[in-house]
Amino acid sequence: MNQLFSRFALLTLSGAVLTLSACSNDDNDDNEVKPAEALKTETASNLGPAPTSTTPPTAGQPGTPRHYAFYNLATKSEVPYTDSATTKWDIAVRTTTILVNGGSSGPGQGGAIVQDGLFSEITAAPATGYNVDSRTAYAIPTGSGKGWYNYNSTTHVVSPIAGKVILLRTAAGKYAKLEIVSYYKDAPASPTGTEPRGYYTFRYVYQPDGSTNLK
Amino acid sequence: MSFALPDGCCYPWQMHRFSSSAFLLVLVVSPALGMAQQRPALADTSAQHLRLREVVVTATRTEKTLTEVPIPVTVVSRQQIQAMGAVRLTEVLGEQTGLNVGADHGRGVQMQGLNPEYTLILVDGEPLIGRTAGTLELSRVAVGNIERVEVVKGPASALWGSEALAGVVNIITQKPQPGTRGEVRLRYGANRTADVGGTFNYRHNQLGLTVFGNRYSSAGYTLQPASGQATVPPFTNYTGQSRLSYQLDDKTTLSVSGRYFIEDQASNLPITTEGGQVAQVGLKARQQDFSLNPSVTRCFSDKLFGTLRFYHAGYRTKEDYTYTADGTPYDASYFHQTFTRPEAQLDWRLHPKHTLTVGTGYLWESVEATRYDQRQQMRSAYGYLQDDWSPLTGLNLVAGVRYDGHSQYQGQLSPKLSGRYQLRPWLAVRASAGRGFRAPDFRQLYLNFSNPAVGYSVFGTHQVREKVAQLAAQGQLALDPATGQPLINAPLLEQASSLTAESSRAYNAGLQLDPTPKLRLTANFFHNDLRDLIETAAVAQKTNGQSVYSYRNVSRAYTQGLETDARYLLRAHLTLSAGYQYLVAKDRNVVTQLKNGSIYRRDPETLETTRLKVADYGGLFNRSRHMANVKLFYDNQATGWSGSVRGVYRGRYGFQDRNGNLILDTGNEYVAGYWLWNVSAAKAFRQRYTLQAGLDNVLNYTDPAYLSTVPGRLYYASLTVALGSK
Repeated sequence: MNQLFSRFALLTLSGAVLTLSACSNDDNDDNEVKPAEALKTETASNLGPAPTSTTPPTAGQPGTPRHYAFYNLATKSEVPYTDSATTKWDIAVRTTTILVNGGSSGPGQGGAIVQDGLFSEITAAPATGYNVDSRTAYAIPTGSGKGWYNYNSTTHVVSPIAGKVILLRTAAGKYAKLEIVSYYKDAPASPTGTEPRGYYTFRYVYQPDGSTNLK
Repeated sequence: MSFALPDGCCYPWQMHRFSSSAFLLVLVVSPALGMAQQRPALADTSAQHLRLREVVVTATRTEKTLTEVPIPVTVVSRQQIQAMGAVRLTEVLGEQTGLNVGADHGRGVQMQGLNPEYTLILVDGEPLIGRTAGTLELSRVAVGNIERVEVVKGPASALWGSEALAGVVNIITQKPQPGTRGEVRLRYGANRTADVGGTFNYRHNQLGLTVFGNRYSSAGYTLQPASGQATVPPFTNYTGQSRLSYQLDDKTTLSVSGRYFIEDQASNLPITTEGGQVAQVGLKARQQDFSLNPSVTRCFSDKLFGTLRFYHAGYRTKEDYTYTADGTPYDASYFHQTFTRPEAQLDWRLHPKHTLTVGTGYLWESVEATRYDQRQQMRSAYGYLQDDWSPLTGLNLVAGVRYDGHSQYQGQLSPKLSGRYQLRPWLAVRASAGRGFRAPDFRQLYLNFSNPAVGYSVFGTHQVREKVAQLAAQGQLALDPATGQPLINAPLLEQASSLTAESSRAYNAGLQLDPTPKLRLTANFFHNDLRDLIETAAVAQKTNGQSVYSYRNVSRAYTQGLETDARYLLRAHLTLSAGYQYLVAKDRNVVTQLKNGSIYRRDPETLETTRLKVADYGGLFNRSRHMANVKLFYDNQATGWSGSVRGVYRGRYGFQDRNGNLILDTGNEYVAGYWLWNVSAAKAFRQRYTLQAGLDNVLNYTDPAYLSTVPGRLYYASLTVALGSK
């Protein structure tokens, strides 16, 4: 009986929502009420620039790549580095550095906030307070324990810190949340530090409608 | 202290409280211990009853029967040490309930979940010195002349001052006994381990003398051959100890004791040079310790007993690294430490129910080493007062307080109150509360050290800021790949620069049960609330991948648990004992963070991040939640056979963080628990000779990556020859 009733209530409610949105003519309204469709969590794997070919064979790990690897959250795809001066990319990575498309890094509106918390529990992006890349500091701070990773000087393993969520403003001014889960190729369960590094695996939720809702 | 009591002296007044049979037993037991020829007398009592009337001196700094002390004390007798076939103190302590002997810059003892630097190590009431990174290497102590080892658990700073925070281990050596005799012992075992030693005892009229000499050597062992380094390189050491006592009159005794220890060790280790090449480097290391301890004791009356002691000790190490290829020097270092202390104590039987103990002393300490910029000195003056009060039959209260004034730190006031009540003839309860402290040591203040082989650096807190800045200027600090800034942990550096003394408030409460004359059960609950604990902290990272360490106070932590022991006389000559400790040790800051939900971890398979709960926290690293032991001792004087089977269990313990959240929370951060089983058997024949053979670690357990102290199965055999008249 209860179940029946709640189903009925839900139907009524969604009907009302639909009616409301149908009445609205202003497509640019950010606070527009839409049918509550959960955003999908995407996973990007092994984002990283190709290592330079002139790696000395004795060094163990390849040298720093010449270029960053660029990524577009909306299209879920990598962007060639030749488009680095455009707003086609949202984030870029090279070794432990992450760029956002804004400030000193690019022509977009990109910014970031590194926040403590659970990825799933962060349901809204702040509207303000985003850090922007500058000549002296990145929006996503680098350094062991300072931003998104810890570096173990004994094992040389770079581990993304669990519970660090990056709230991102994209090149186009949309919002997203992002969590880096691995720094090693194919996200090994227990990296030993000898795997190819600089290959980011991250999960993200991108809100295409321009609102701060990240549910 | 009252180690060399003249015969017939007034001192043991406290025994008046005991039943007369207990008093007799004490008289019988104490002079007879360890004398092979006199052991039958002992066996007669021990065959039918557990020996419970041992006298201890560490708990109250006066002689007191073990069962009467209001705080937890473990006594390991000479007889037990011999039955174990032990040659060094590490082996003896490693088998006791609640004690864990681990390796961290030497083998030290973890007590009530507290690291080795919180346990004071005494030889006849005077401290052994020479700690490395807080650990006093207990294998420096040979056991051949030990009468008994007393282990006091819980803070004893109210009597013993700094370092007696977790407890005190007091090694009581043999005192001159009437007659002339000696003993020679040869022991040989696996890893070409040889132990040769002897004791000599003389006492006639006023003059008494004991001499002990020992040579101990081993070829060492290698658990990880691939590393190119021996786990324990070959070493040889010598120990000499002697005591001379002279009874001036029937009330005054003079005595002088001395100790000398020297060890040489040689090893090879591969060094990676800056060019990336590997070079072999040889290390020759020598360490020495010595001490001289004259003392006078006097019975002023049957109510007043005085002791005047002077103690001077030194510790020296020397390490020379040379390239194996051409013999050119690679590095050299030395460390010289001295400890000088006069002390006076009066024991005053004020009233039949009150015994006052009052003492005072003055301490000079100095360190001069390659690892320090200059010779550093500290001075300290202290006084202590204790009232041992028996207001009612069966009730004993001991209240004490000590003040330590220090040239480098704020004075420390350490009170302690303990009590014991005999509820029923077979049941007693005891409880105590007290404060312990440990002042930061030289190392934590002034150390300036860079390990030449591995490449890390450690700086004392007085200078760490300056040194880190220096390294940064010299380009020796790793730069963050992105920012180009040196990898310096600013918050940790700040904490390091404001170091304070460590302290604890501790509570112990327990039961002693004697349901039958053949069974004894004890249980003790302990809680240590620790403040300002000092730990090493990596404040910066170097270009060679190693860290720059200093020290900081981890503001709060606690250890608590339950320790239980049972001893049962199975039948004549056969004693079964078992011990267990449950331990929880946690960093309170981490617990707070967990309660706030601000510590996370990521599942390595699903890559899902979850918030950790308080229950996920495994506590401080290197502590086993469960430790246990089971021992069976057989001793039949009539047939000359004796033997033992001993099993020691160490439950799993945290080793290091692996998932980047810096706390102990996942299974792969633990080292597996393990049992070590040891057996020994001995046969005495023709009154003079004893043959012993044994196997340590019978099951050949090893864990090369995590357990450097467990070399696998070891066999040994020994011959002891008693010399001289009875």
